[in-house]
Amino acid sequence: MLTRRTLLACSLAAPWFPVRAATDFGGVSEDEFVLGTSAAFSGPSRGLGIELYRGAMAYFEHVNRAGGVGGRPIRQKIYDDGYQPDPAVTNSTTLMLDDDVFLLFGYVGTPTVTRVLPLLKKFQDRDMYLFFPFTGAAPQREPPYGDFAFNLRASYGQETAGLVDNFVAVGRRRIGVFYQADAYGRSGWAGVRKALSRHGEQIVGEATYRRGTKFTSVMREQVNILKAANPEAVICIGSYAACAAFARDAVDMGLNGVPLANLSFVGSENMLKLLSEGRDDAERYTDLLVNSQVVPSYEDVTIPAVREYRDFMARYNPEVPAELVTEEYTPFPHSFVSLEGFLDAKLMVEILRRLGDNPSRKGLEQAVFTIRDFDIGIGEMVSFGPERRQGLQGVYYTVVDQGRFVTLDDWGKRFANVG
Amino acid sequence: MSDDPVVPDIKVKKLFRKTVFGVFMLFGAIGLSTSILNVYTVDTHLSEEYISNSKGIAKTIADASVDILLNRDLAALQSLIDQFLEIQGIRYIYIANESGDFIAHTFVPGIPEEILVGDALSTETVERSLPGLGDFVEVGSPILAGVAGTVRVGMDRGLIALKIQRAIGQQMWLFVVVGAIGVVAAIWLVNLAAKPMARLMAYAVSLAKDDEPENPELLERDDEIGHLARLFRHFANQRSPGDR
Repeated sequence: MLTRRTLLACSLAAPWFPVRAATDFGGVSEDEFVLGTSAAFSGPSRGLGIELYRGAMAYFEHVNRAGGVGGRPIRQKIYDDGYQPDPAVTNSTTLMLDDDVFLLFGYVGTPTVTRVLPLLKKFQDRDMYLFFPFTGAAPQREPPYGDFAFNLRASYGQETAGLVDNFVAVGRRRIGVFYQADAYGRSGWAGVRKALSRHGEQIVGEATYRRGTKFTSVMREQVNILKAANPEAVICIGSYAACAAFARDAVDMGLNGVPLANLSFVGSENMLKLLSEGRDDAERYTDLLVNSQVVPSYEDVTIPAVREYRDFMARYNPEVPAELVTEEYTPFPHSFVSLEGFLDAKLMVEILRRLGDNPSRKGLEQAVFTIRDFDIGIGEMVSFGPERRQGLQGVYYTVVDQGRFVTLDDWGKRFANVG
Repeated sequence: MSDDPVVPDIKVKKLFRKTVFGVFMLFGAIGLSTSILNVYTVDTHLSEEYISNSKGIAKTIADASVDILLNRDLAALQSLIDQFLEIQGIRYIYIANESGDFIAHTFVPGIPEEILVGDALSTETVERSLPGLGDFVEVGSPILAGVAGTVRVGMDRGLIALKIQRAIGQQMWLFVVVGAIGVVAAIWLVNLAAKPMARLMAYAVSLAKDDEPENPELLERDDEIGHLARLFRHFANQRSPGDR
C-alpha cells in the first residue's frame, strides 16, 4: 500500500484543564472541541501536511493555554492519508461516523478533498463542514459541493490568472504547463487555459507526471516535450518533489532563460531545499523560479499576523507528534504553508467563538456568515456570506534571492522577455 | 560349419516403438490443434468482452460528465476519470470537448502524437499501437449526444494477450502431464507384451537347435503366444530326421 494510515488522537488539550463531565453535543462536549483532520504526513508530499499542522497548532496551542474557546480547548484528531484519495475517504468516514468530530479542518490536496466532498453531501443531515482545505481547486468552491466547505485561501484560478497576466505583461505569451496528472493538476491547467484565452493565447505545450513522484525521478521526457513547444514560460502545477525534479532537469537539459512558475501548493521552502542542498551552483536552478503564494511573506515583519505567527512559532515550537512521523522530515522554522495553517487556525478560533455558549454544528454556517470585514492581520479583510465561501483573494509572488523566497516587486526587471 | 539356423538378436520392443511414437504424435496434434482453437476462442471472447466493458465504462463516464462539464469543473472531471483508471485493463481515458480540445486525460508524460493528430470526437472502436505504451483497443462514447464532447477509453491488449498466454500455458501443462503419463503407460504396456514374445522367440530358437526344451508355462498359455508355441513345436516334431 502506498500510504500508511496512521491514527493519532492528538490532544492539544493541556493537562492543566480540569476533567469535566463529558456531555456530547456532536463533536463538541463541555470539555472540548474536536476537529477532524486527514492530511499527508507520509510520502513525498508529507512536508505540506506537517507544515500546515505546525502552523495551525501554534495558534491552537496559544488559545488552549489561555483557556480555550468558551472554556473548551481545541483538540485535533488526525489521520494520515499520504496525499492519496482512497485513504482520505476512509479517514473522513471514520472521522464523521466513528469519531463524530465537530468539523473537518486542515485537509491537504485537491485529489483528496475532491473525493471527500461527496461524503459531506451524503451526510449533510449531520451538518458536517470542511474548513480551510489546503487547496485552491474549484470543486469545494462551486456547486454541487460548494455549500459544504469554507475556504480561506485564494483559488488556483486566481493564482494561475495572476501568473499568466504577469507573464503576458512582460512579453512572455508562449506558456507551457507541467502538471500533476490528477484533479489538482487539471485544476491548475484549466486556470492557465482560461487565463490565456483572455489574452487570445493557448497553452503551447503540456507535460504531466504521476502523483507521488520523487525528487530522484527523471523528468527528461517531460522537459523534452516542453522544449519542443519552445515556451517563454512554464507554469508548474505540482508538488515540491516533482517540481524540483522538473526544474533540475529543465536547467540541466538547457531549457535556459525560461521562468518556471509554481503555485502555492508546491511548498516553496521544501522545493528550494531540494534544489539547493549540497549544491554550490544552486542559483542555476533557482534563479528562474517564481512561486505564487496565497499568504504574504513570513519575512515581512511589518505585517501584524506575521509578527504574531513568528512569535507563536518561536514560543511554542510546535512539533509533529512522533506517532505521525514515519519518514524523516526536518521542519522549517517558518514557511508559507505553516503561515497559512496559522491563519486558518486563527479564523477557525474566531468562528468557534462566535458559536456562543452552546455551540452546535447547526449553528456553524451562520457563525461563519457573521464574519464580515474581519481583520485577520495581513491587511486584507476577511468576509464570508451565502455567496462568498472564500475568505481571502490576495495572491503574492515570490522569487529566490540569496537562498530564500522574497517578494517579487518588479516582474519586468526580473522576467522581461528580451528575446 | 554349423547348420544351426541364424537367429537374429531382435529386441521385440523395437516393434512397438512406432506405437509409442504414434501416441506421442497424437497427443502433440491434439495439443496443437486445441491450443490454436483455444487462442482463437479466448482472444475473440476476451476482446468482445473487453470492448463491451469499455463501451459501458465510456458511456458511464460520458453520462456522469454532463453536469460536471456544464459546471466547467475540470478538476472534478479529472477526478472522475482517475477513478475509472483503477479498473483492470483500462490504460488511458481522455475527454475532448465539442471543439475537439482535450480537456481531461490520464496520459503521462503527455498525450501521444497518434492521439493528438487523430479524431478526438470519433466514437468508433479502433485498435491503436502507441509507441512506448503498447497495443490498445479504444472505444468512444458521446457526451450529451456528442454536443458536449466525447469520452474515449483505451483498453490494454497486452492484458488480453497475457490472459491468452495463461490459458494456453495451463492447457499445455495439462497436455504435457497427460502425454507423459500416456507415454509411460505405453512403454509399460509394450514391455508387458514384449516379454512373452521374447520367451516365444527363445523357445523357437531352441526348437531350431533341436533342443527339446520343456516350457509348460508357454505351451499352456491360452492366447496367441501359446498357439504359436504349440504350432512351432508341431512343425519341429514333423521334421524328418535328415532335416534335423
